[in-house]
Amino acid sequence: MRLFSSLRPVIYALIALLAMPAFATVDDAHSFAMEGAMPFVEQGFIVREEYWNGEVASGQGLMIKHQMFKGNEYAFWLGTANEGVAFDLKVYDEKGKEITIAAKSDKMFASARVNPPRTATYTIVFSLTSKKEKGLYWALAYGYR
Amino acid sequence: MKRFPLHLLTVLAMTSGLVSVHPVRAQAATPGVQEFDPRAFPGQVVDDVVVPVPSEVFSVLDKLGEPNWQQEIRNVELPKTVDRTKLALQFGMIVAEGFVAVQAEDKESVKEIGKDVIDLATALGLIKSVRPHAQAILDAADKKDWSSIRREFDLTQKTVRDTMEQMKDADLSQCVSMGGWLRGTSSVTSVVVKNFSADSAELLNQPMLVEHFINSIDKMGTRVREHAMVSDIARGLKDIMAEMEGAVDGFTKDSVRDIGKVCDTLLKGIQAAK
Repeated sequence: MRLFSSLRPVIYALIALLAMPAFATVDDAHSFAMEGAMPFVEQGFIVREEYWNGEVASGQGLMIKHQMFKGNEYAFWLGTANEGVAFDLKVYDEKGKEITIAAKSDKMFASARVNPPRTATYTIVFSLTSKKEKGLYWALAYGYR
Repeated sequence: MKRFPLHLLTVLAMTSGLVSVHPVRAQAATPGVQEFDPRAFPGQVVDDVVVPVPSEVFSVLDKLGEPNWQQEIRNVELPKTVDRTKLALQFGMIVAEGFVAVQAEDKESVKEIGKDVIDLATALGLIKSVRPHAQAILDAADKKDWSSIRREFDLTQKTVRDTMEQMKDADLSQCVSMGGWLRGTSSVTSVVVKNFSADSAELLNQPMLVEHFINSIDKMGTRVREHAMVSDIARGLKDIMAEMEGAVDGFTKDSVRDIGKVCDTLLKGIQAAK
């Protein structure tokens, strides 16, 4: 008991050290999403500053509803902070028809392009799968032109 | 946008592999199958809504015609107030006004709005986090760097909302979004009515966003939810929703005008001294 008390500051310091990189990983996921956005920005896409993020179990699907306007072209960038991840990123219209026109994956991010056929609410469905990690940090950003 | 709510111990447990995260449940996606039924989705629904900035709609209007954005800029007089709910609504409204000024490429209006942003952020006690963005807006206005200004207005709003959420003021953060949406939508209706077409009117088909705001108000704490202005907004949003739901065969010019009138009445209330 006394040994634990004397070691407590060291244990807390170790805990803080262990935790620090984990706190950074959601931001890292967004950074990788932004890396995926770079070629799109060169093509005139305007990147939104607000984005979705979180942590998800490997292989679990996530669904987001999003408003899009006919006449704009949209691109979505899904980034992760974890290596060795397989991405699945699709966009569906109100009737459940997939409208993704170009989906690409890289090591740390994936992208999907959409030309919304009408102004409406669309559904973005995605998952990240890893053979090594159980929990994965993710960030999903978008842009338009 | 809510930040990722990680608790230290959860992080520790996960990084050290002491506990597993949620049970793994693979998404029922079969390659080649394109139909998707959200009601049968086995995964997790992310409830956070990213509200589009006015520029997203304005860019479509620019493709459909040549709106006179200069005509859409409003001379906003903001009375001094210590009412934080009203200040948050005004903040969202003024940032949206900034997007209108950017669309009009009006340097002087952008600078005036940049100063209003500083005043409102000061009144809200958020000037420390907002000042770098406000200064960037003023600097970029001098250079007429419209894309940088657009980005900074977006960043300003995000920074204010994030800071409010960190301060446990999520209700006020929603007020920022609502003020911005009302001002942006008011501009869209004004442009659409001046040069009506089915394509431009369709831009008002935003029931998910209106529903999101109505639900957000329902979930607010009593102090903000029962604020006279927020109660007015709740009623106005329900009227707007009725217009959207009634536009099964598309919006008429009258229905667009009606949505605009609701937005303008609410915006007048937001700007009023009391």
